[in-house]
Amino acid sequence: MMHVVLSTAEKATETGGAVVPERNTQFVLAAVLGLLFALGTFLVLRRDIVRVVWGVTIISQAANVYLVTMGGLGGSVPFVGHGTHGASATTDPLVQALVLTAIVIGFGTTAFALVLTYRVYQEHGTIDLAELGDSHE
Amino acid sequence: MSNYVVAPMVIALFTAILTLVVRSQPRLQRSVSLLGGLGYATAVGYLVYLVFTGPILTYQLSNWAAPYGIVLVADKLAGFMLAMGAIVMVAALAFSVRYIDEFGQQVSYHPLFHFMLVGITGSFLTGDIFNLFVWFEVMLMPSYVFVVFYSGAKHTRAALQYTVLNLIGSAVMLLAIGGIYATTGTLNMADLTIRLANPEAFGIAVEPVVGLAALLFSVFALKAGIVPFHFWVPAAYEAAPAPISAMLSGVTKKVGIYAIVRLLFTVFGAAQLDLGPFGEGSMLLFFGPIMLVMAIASMLIGGYAAVGQSNVDRLLAYSSISQVGFILLPLGIVATIPLSGGTLGTITIGETIYSIPIGISTSQLHVLGIVATLLYSLNHAVAKSLLFLVSGTIYESVGSIDIGKLGGLARTRPFLSGAFLLGGLSLVGIPPLLGFFGKLTVFNTASAAVVAGQDVGTIGVVAALLGAVFTIAYISKAWTDAFWGAPSPEVERATRPTALIAIVVVVALLLVVLGAGLDPIYEGADSAATAALDRQSYVEAVALSDAGVKP
Repeated sequence: MMHVVLSTAEKATETGGAVVPERNTQFVLAAVLGLLFALGTFLVLRRDIVRVVWGVTIISQAANVYLVTMGGLGGSVPFVGHGTHGASATTDPLVQALVLTAIVIGFGTTAFALVLTYRVYQEHGTIDLAELGDSHE
Repeated sequence: MSNYVVAPMVIALFTAILTLVVRSQPRLQRSVSLLGGLGYATAVGYLVYLVFTGPILTYQLSNWAAPYGIVLVADKLAGFMLAMGAIVMVAALAFSVRYIDEFGQQVSYHPLFHFMLVGITGSFLTGDIFNLFVWFEVMLMPSYVFVVFYSGAKHTRAALQYTVLNLIGSAVMLLAIGGIYATTGTLNMADLTIRLANPEAFGIAVEPVVGLAALLFSVFALKAGIVPFHFWVPAAYEAAPAPISAMLSGVTKKVGIYAIVRLLFTVFGAAQLDLGPFGEGSMLLFFGPIMLVMAIASMLIGGYAAVGQSNVDRLLAYSSISQVGFILLPLGIVATIPLSGGTLGTITIGETIYSIPIGISTSQLHVLGIVATLLYSLNHAVAKSLLFLVSGTIYESVGSIDIGKLGGLARTRPFLSGAFLLGGLSLVGIPPLLGFFGKLTVFNTASAAVVAGQDVGTIGVVAALLGAVFTIAYISKAWTDAFWGAPSPEVERATRPTALIAIVVVVALLLVVLGAGLDPIYEGADSAATAALDRQSYVEAVALSDAGVKP
């Protein structure tokens, strides 16, 4: 993974700033994203509430990773003065700002969801969704 | 003058923080909260006045010019929704001061209430789709806490469902936003409108945006509780405190409706493409049939389920699902009909002139559809929050909202029962209440479509009639079982919460006043609907500094 990313950066520099990522990186990231979403969905469909919360967390983190890839792969770190090969040599900083916001929001909601899970356990004596459903009617 | 756009948000934010600071003095905290609420309503009132008498106001955050900075846009559509929210908010806040127990108010109620208000206001005002996501989250987080506010067995269960569904919704919204940014290269709504209308000039493909817009639409439908995204509604409305149920059904739901109108009609509708079986033209043609099916399903499923409920709150919650169908129906009808005679405006950015299609047809049918949605939304906001407040008052007075334990309230609590009757009749659509005009414009849209030779109008009329029959059924069931007949033992022992009844009666009278003095409201809704479709004015107001950046 590390090697692939490095080689992309090198290639971008060689071609004078044109951000053309290698196909490998795209393939690896697409596969990883698919796996993350699959894992998240699998966990959300479990009966254990803690796993459901983890599943939701993984889905939202996968969405963050996806968001990072949407700015285009390749290019160098978007610091001022870093992109000496022209503007296109740095990667798009906007998506990173978006992800930062989304991560902070995710922090809050995950913490809330975990506390809520604990309260559900206190009130119902179970974190099994099937038993929770039976106790309802 | 344009700095004034942020005033309501700033007031709500400061009130939220102040109520946190003065937590140790409950009396002061309640006064601060009420004053802040009134200040917010005043600020919204003045903003609405400015927007309806003058041009669209925009506020560029930190003076970063659009499309690079975040922009807040107060146009007539946003103004209409803000005014609607402010009415419900003042009633709900005044109600909660007497309704929520002292400890609950002191610990978290007031700060959360105002934080939720910040999120709602931001969602109405923002002109940036990622910013819309952020405001949605700001609005949702307090609402999660409110659903679990009483933290009993029922409440934790409802909150879990509500939270998990909305967290998944947020992830889906992020996916859609990321995709839109990758395909079009912008997040600013005005910039997005221009790019979608001139795809060749920017070298972008419009086709993928259809799917991404559909993802966004599903998130808005989740917020609005439209079938098939309605599963969280009954449990959450039942679990939340009554004034919060009033806010959730009256205002938060309308944020979803506003987002549908703003994003689909103003922004995505500008894209012209070949949609295969859906025809060729505006992207709206794709969403028309989908909205129509979802609206009809909501009206019928919600209405049918409401008839069978034995708990007032659950009945009102299912009624909310049904009523949101009425709100969406006119949008679905007009979106299905291809635009005839729409004009082409032009926008100059820098040196380049871009064309932009304006979504108003010669027959004004599209405007009429959005007017129907807005009027019905206003009716539902006031009437449904009134009914939830009545339900809260009954709970405070009788100690139960189980229809089986009620009965004879009309004899012992005539004013409270009168308020329920007015709210119920407004949902049914009896003149001169506001609900009559809401329903009239919905039917008017459907019949105008029939006159224009569109079969979809006929479907709309039949579905709306069926939905109206269900409305009559569940309102009369609630009325006869809970209010008529001999007083039950519980009702005989009931207390008389005078302050709560007074608030409820004022809101009920408001329904009559709004209905009788409809003329300015109708004109307001009409110009708000025109603003939603007049893409040229919207984009011009945002004053894009630059639209030349290619994705």
